[in-house]
Amino acid sequence: MTSDAELIGRSLAGDGQAFMEVICRHEGAVGAYLARRAGREAAEDLLGEVWVAAFESRGTYDRSFAGARPWLYGVALNRLRRYWRSRPAEDLVPDVTSLGGGWDPWPAVDARVDTQAVLRAALARLKPEEREVLTLVAWEDLTAADAARVLGRPAGTARRLLHQARTALRNEPGVAALLTDLNRVKESQ
Amino acid sequence: MTVDEMDLVRQLKGAAPLRPGAYEQAQAMLRDAMAESGRRTRRRTLSLRAKAGLGAGIAAAAAAAAGIALVVTPAPRPAGAAGAVPQASPVTSRLVSLAAMIKASGGTLPGDASLVIRTQTIDGKSPDVSYNLYTDSGAFYGGGDKKSLMQAVARHEDDADGIDAREVAAARSAAGGDLAAARVRMVNASPNYLGLGLGPAARKKIWAQAKAKSAEIYKEKGIEFPANPPAGKALQEDADNYLWNNSVEALSAGGGDPQVREGVLRLLSTISAVTVANSTAGGQPALTLTAGPEVFGGAGSEVLTVNARTGMPVKAVMPAEGNVPSSVQTFQVSRVTLAGIEAGRF
Repeated sequence: MTSDAELIGRSLAGDGQAFMEVICRHEGAVGAYLARRAGREAAEDLLGEVWVAAFESRGTYDRSFAGARPWLYGVALNRLRRYWRSRPAEDLVPDVTSLGGGWDPWPAVDARVDTQAVLRAALARLKPEEREVLTLVAWEDLTAADAARVLGRPAGTARRLLHQARTALRNEPGVAALLTDLNRVKESQ
Repeated sequence: MTVDEMDLVRQLKGAAPLRPGAYEQAQAMLRDAMAESGRRTRRRTLSLRAKAGLGAGIAAAAAAAAGIALVVTPAPRPAGAAGAVPQASPVTSRLVSLAAMIKASGGTLPGDASLVIRTQTIDGKSPDVSYNLYTDSGAFYGGGDKKSLMQAVARHEDDADGIDAREVAAARSAAGGDLAAARVRMVNASPNYLGLGLGPAARKKIWAQAKAKSAEIYKEKGIEFPANPPAGKALQEDADNYLWNNSVEALSAGGGDPQVREGVLRLLSTISAVTVANSTAGGQPALTLTAGPEVFGGAGSEVLTVNARTGMPVKAVMPAEGNVPSSVQTFQVSRVTLAGIEAGRF
């Protein structure tokens, strides 16, 4: 099968259909990535903007990477950041000033059950880049190196961020209690 | 095995999948941006008119995803298959009458290419104009304006993908030959996995290949790929979807050729979900052809207006439906010469 890199090359040479083929390959994954971070409604609005932004910036794509999915996640992340910045503060978090970037939406995400509430609260307390690497690995099944491509950071930095995120989560009292309970139940079974 | 923090985070992975129409809408937005970028990007509107559900939608996307241009050679048609020609109803027989009138008027038009200036307005936003040049020899040149079209021709930037040529050939075959065979040929002019015209075993094999290549993509979208290719009414509707879309494309690509217009009208008359009414367009008598929801997977419709004397396309309107935005296209079709276009005489 033709690689994404080859298709992007063909697209740069004027073959519009080639870029559409790249989109068809990854639209499900990128749509899910957006939905997990902004909800379905917003994701549906953002997806087209992501494709347009990707098309306009495809000249910068590093074609030594055969697969374009991490790059597309990176484009999607940039759109998400703009989206989050554009949201009214009350939609995000009651105390925005307590967060480093001032646009972090995670604390506002609804918690449906206790376990999820504990986890989401713990995720919300991570630094944005730590959380992004962690969720890229846990939810999008990327390696730390691919997560680094998404963030435009060196692979070593992504690995460090992942390590810090995991350590911080493990040390969160609520998460630590959950892990203890779950592993105790497993052992007793 | 011990549960760790990564296992816990994975539990939060779930999210409601995007609705299928959202992918169509996002692609339409991209196509719009591509056209506006001034590149040689054709303004296909197939994604807007494609089915939002399974069937044709799956087939089109699967083919695109797999990078396959599957063209099924028409074969002897099994009895009762979707290639069968329904009896013309009193309304659709107007199309047959117009086709006969075009045939009787005879004669080929001057020039060696058809210029279609298409103006498309999506969701009421500012209109997008594209200059599309289809030569009689099958080449396609596109531009966002007069100048970029001239440049494309001068640089011999032929952007034909073969689909137009097959659609036009299918329309021509409908003008003079076996309508049932032409119907199969038109459906199969664009890539799909219906396997129309083939036997059950061959169709199942093609479907299995599509499933193998696209299973992951559809899993990500939260859509289950059907185990078997469509049959009966579902097959008929999927085939009609392709027949409508490809015929409308042929009307653009080959509208300068009376035989193509005749063939397209005859083909559209075979779709039972198409109704025809008299109207006017720009002071000229016109026919409005409405393709009902059955042609679009149960939701949506499209109205095509053609000149009632020539069959030339005038306008195509698709009302908004769910996440798919409304689209209004107008066509200005004229016969030209390639040399004239290059010299700016248009």
